[in-house]
Amino acid sequence: MNAYIIAGKRSAVGKAPKGKLRFTRPDDLAAHVIQAMLEGVPNLDKEKIDDVIVGNATPEAEQGLNIGRMISLMSLNTDKVPGMTVNRYCSSGLETIAIASAKIHAGLADCIIAGGVETMSPIPFGGWRIVPNAKVAKAHHDYYWGMGLTAEAVAKEYKVSREDQDEFGYQSHMKAIRAIKAGAFKDEIAPLEVEEIFVQDNKRESRKYTFDTDEGPRPDTNIDALSRLRPVFDAKGTVTAGNASQTSDGAAFVMVVSEKMLKELGVEPIARLRAYSVAGVPPRIMGIGPVEAIPMALKQAGLKQSDIDLVELNEAFASQSVAVIRETGLNPDIVNINGGAIAIGHPLGCTGAKLTVQMMHALKSRNEKYGVVTMCVGTGQGAAGVIEMM
Amino acid sequence: MTKRRINKVAVLGSGIMGSRIACHFANIGVQVLLLDIVPKELNDKEKAKGLTIDSKTVRNRIVNDSLQSAIKSNPSPIYDKSAVKLIETGNFDDDLPGIADCDWVMEVIIERLDIKQQLFEKVEKHRKPGTIISSNTSGIPIQLMNKDRSDDFKKHFCGTHFFNPPRYLMLLEIIPGPDTGEQVLDFLMDYGKRFLGKTTVLCKDTPAFIANRVGVFSIMWMFHYVKENGLTVDEIDKLTGPVIGRPKSATFRTTDVVGLDTLVHVANGLKDNVPDDEMKHLFEIPDYIQHMVDNDMLGSKTKKGFFKKIKDEKGKSEILTLDLEKMDYVPRSKPKFQSLEMAKAEDNLPKRIKTLFNAQDKAGKFYRDHFLSIMAYVSNRVPEISDEVYRLDDALKAGFGYEMGPFETWDAIGFQEGLKALKEDGVKYAAWIDEMAKSGAASFYRIHEGKQQFWNHLSASYEDIPGQEGTVSLSVAKSKGIVWQNAGTTITDLGDGVLNIEFHTKMNTIGGEVLAGLNKAIDLAEAEYEALVVYNEGGNFSAGANVGLIFMMAAEQEMDELNFAVKQFQQTMMRVRYSSIPVIAAPHQLTLGGGCELCLHADKVVAHAELYMGLVEFGVGVIPGGGGTKEFALRLADELRDGDIRNNQFRHRLMTIAQAKVATSAKEAFKLGYLREGVDEVVMNRTLQLTIAKNAAMAMVEKGYTQPKERSDIKVLGNEGLGLVYVGAETMAAGNYMSEHDRLISEKLGWVMSGGDLSYPQEVSESYLLDMERKAFLELCSTQKTLERLQSMVKTGKVLRN
Repeated sequence: MNAYIIAGKRSAVGKAPKGKLRFTRPDDLAAHVIQAMLEGVPNLDKEKIDDVIVGNATPEAEQGLNIGRMISLMSLNTDKVPGMTVNRYCSSGLETIAIASAKIHAGLADCIIAGGVETMSPIPFGGWRIVPNAKVAKAHHDYYWGMGLTAEAVAKEYKVSREDQDEFGYQSHMKAIRAIKAGAFKDEIAPLEVEEIFVQDNKRESRKYTFDTDEGPRPDTNIDALSRLRPVFDAKGTVTAGNASQTSDGAAFVMVVSEKMLKELGVEPIARLRAYSVAGVPPRIMGIGPVEAIPMALKQAGLKQSDIDLVELNEAFASQSVAVIRETGLNPDIVNINGGAIAIGHPLGCTGAKLTVQMMHALKSRNEKYGVVTMCVGTGQGAAGVIEMM
Repeated sequence: MTKRRINKVAVLGSGIMGSRIACHFANIGVQVLLLDIVPKELNDKEKAKGLTIDSKTVRNRIVNDSLQSAIKSNPSPIYDKSAVKLIETGNFDDDLPGIADCDWVMEVIIERLDIKQQLFEKVEKHRKPGTIISSNTSGIPIQLMNKDRSDDFKKHFCGTHFFNPPRYLMLLEIIPGPDTGEQVLDFLMDYGKRFLGKTTVLCKDTPAFIANRVGVFSIMWMFHYVKENGLTVDEIDKLTGPVIGRPKSATFRTTDVVGLDTLVHVANGLKDNVPDDEMKHLFEIPDYIQHMVDNDMLGSKTKKGFFKKIKDEKGKSEILTLDLEKMDYVPRSKPKFQSLEMAKAEDNLPKRIKTLFNAQDKAGKFYRDHFLSIMAYVSNRVPEISDEVYRLDDALKAGFGYEMGPFETWDAIGFQEGLKALKEDGVKYAAWIDEMAKSGAASFYRIHEGKQQFWNHLSASYEDIPGQEGTVSLSVAKSKGIVWQNAGTTITDLGDGVLNIEFHTKMNTIGGEVLAGLNKAIDLAEAEYEALVVYNEGGNFSAGANVGLIFMMAAEQEMDELNFAVKQFQQTMMRVRYSSIPVIAAPHQLTLGGGCELCLHADKVVAHAELYMGLVEFGVGVIPGGGGTKEFALRLADELRDGDIRNNQFRHRLMTIAQAKVATSAKEAFKLGYLREGVDEVVMNRTLQLTIAKNAAMAMVEKGYTQPKERSDIKVLGNEGLGLVYVGAETMAAGNYMSEHDRLISEKLGWVMSGGDLSYPQEVSESYLLDMERKAFLELCSTQKTLERLQSMVKTGKVLRN
């Protein structure tokens, strides 16, 4: 049984913790995106949805209590559809699409909503209460390294200079600004009406606005400004706030269905997840994960690197992005054509789904067939998925 | 009449002084309306933003910029960031009506009579009757400023002269105008003292009032003398610094900081306005000083004055000194005087001054000339600028940071000896001195029947210095005899069953004698008294444990002895808390390491507002070993509630020690967890600190004090905490934010604060933690890198990061 993606939407990405989504709860945000996506599948009887699978990298506080189930209840107006939450850090949003596809392949389900949500504004990086295993922390210093240190290690080991990183970051912003101006994201974004209620001069006030454009990209940035930023993770390092991904708020979902469901709904499929692989690498150089994962996924799909039309390589850090491009020999011209996480942002658990949605739209607009969505994943992992347009 | 209260003040003018005065009021919780002029035109930034001259941000730009630059200045004018919220800014054109809500309006604008008068005319329109109005002028006669004002205005108007920086310099001169009401003056004298923490000195409306009149005379005397006698700038600064109880910046460095132009301005003002001053010729500006003014050699503000900081090719800074002969900058010299070297050994300042005055070398001649000229000058200023000698001494001490005023200096030299020298050298002093000598008086000050007295030339007798009623003075208490003494401490009876122990070691460091003294004081108090106060009148409360001693034992690796010494320290600290009498610590200024640990164990701390407290042991490569680490673990446990995310508080406590954070004020010491809200207290005025500490001790006795039981319910986190410690240390070390040795010390600290590698959070006792703390301390003392840090501190006084 093949599994097909028949719809996909994402929210615009907000800057965390001071952006326009800073007071929007993750469950509200996810429910809104799902509802917007379902508008594109008008014939669907919602009770026929088998599951809602939500990727999230910090499933606690606002994102806790199995947010997947809560999102199902909030978005579908029925209690018949279950929900679950999946965490593989930064590939969570892609992982859920893989789980949905696999379930359908195996005949376990016919219709699944899969994607991810992450609001980094209200929740500190890593969560509120980090309790590392003292024994492990002592024995393996780098297992609990913050991502920034791993980016520094990759920069050193793979000799990615500060200049290369800043240039890569600069290009990310320029590409994203170009894409936004050209309206490249317009169709995939579900605009959100935000209402904030607050007290001003002792009075309860509210303000409303529509949020429909990624707010991370900076048209005014330049190499000179980027080169003056100080390193933030290593006093002697090269990784700065300007050549690392931004912390963000966002949600993205797709709908995956079986052939049976396709017929029932009478819709044409957009794409399918042709392959998906996850690999382990040393935690210290976490950023290099895609170097292992991409060939595995291509092999699984029976494709060559040259068959690939576009790549969405999550820009956790410029250092690891540059290193991955160099090590895999990817054609830089097909990588992140509309900019990446350094410009647009990286809402951890949402990112995989967001990049999948972006990839489908990009391939469609260029009338191309194969795309790879790939990312490095915390504590030494890499993930890659092959998207095939139908 | 209802009691006067100050809830809100208006400060008119936001320059260097105005903005900082505003900050100091905010420091004590008073709301401030700070106003300044509206800018004449838009700046480029405002133009680019499309603002107009009517925009609020433009209209308040001057005041807001001044306030921001004040807040960012170093040393900070604020105790704590939260104070800033109390300051509301505005401008004279729009916001002057706001002064109607203020209880005190203070003018701190440009020193021009016509402009001040214009402002007061406007103030009069808005102020509510009865509101105090004052001017911070340093030179304009008060009587000229309230011309054409109403009777109510005049009655409530006077001069209130703060010294820069107002938070740190203790002097507040109060200058009555001809019509100022007695009640207003009484109120301000008291308010300035108790609320603002200042030494309030009632002045007469004479040119430059008291402190600047005498202080500037002293500097001008020096300006002339140095040139005429072929001395150098470095020599004068060596001679007029801490060795005679004056600030480190001595004469010329102080001038550079104040600004030569400011000084010349005051001197010129004096020259024109003191026709009867017998020394007015000294207010003439010497040619070389004029040359400096004309060539922008004004000091720090123009980056060159008597000193100039340069950077060599390697980027290393060097300070050059002005050679007054060549009028060019030359490398700094390190002048040596035989008499000075000998006097260094004398810790007692009055004795040292006497020795120096009588010395026979070049330095001795300088001191004789200098002290005699000042002694004569101040004698001639009575009664012109003050009727009472103590006001002159108070003003000089509080305004210029002198440890002793001119009359006190004379007393140190000896009244008769000083007088004899004046006669021998033909220096013209005041006639009342002869009268005083005839009467047989032997000093300007004395302690008589438990009261501090001064010689009042008007009554030709000794009189009590006012304001002593209800206050405790250590020197008065000591005059009645001391209870016990050893090389490091003195125990004094403060009366009412309260003992005081003071340290008098170098920097009041804590070693064997101090610990013995503390134990003795507690023994005595338990046996025969009711309470103990730990207070001293040195420059600092305590710089910590005696590092030299620790270094010696550690260098020799005499671990048993070191273990014994640390244990003794811990046990003494524990006795501070666990004794049958309340122990009150009353710290001021530097209260570091062991000094801080002592306060952590006191039943109550009555701190001076200017408190620089911290556990700084990391700097010498160890963790707090006198119960400080244990106490932080204990306080952490007490802060945590069931279900709390424990990471944040744990990290806060840990990092406070790991980063050797020193509070920059008593207020900040609460934020850092060194002081306890609801238990410990802050006193603004240093001279009232002992009284308030003693009263606090008596109140605890009165309420009924029971010795607390040692704690065995300190919840530590075990492995949960340890994991955080390892990861945190790794993140800092891998990120090159600390050295491998810092990692080791951090991990030891974390180990103690977590209670070790316990499988689950559980309750442990103080003695369990003290043993861990001591063990970690000793282990660190066995490492080469800690030895290097200790050595660096002992040899150079500098923190080594290795």
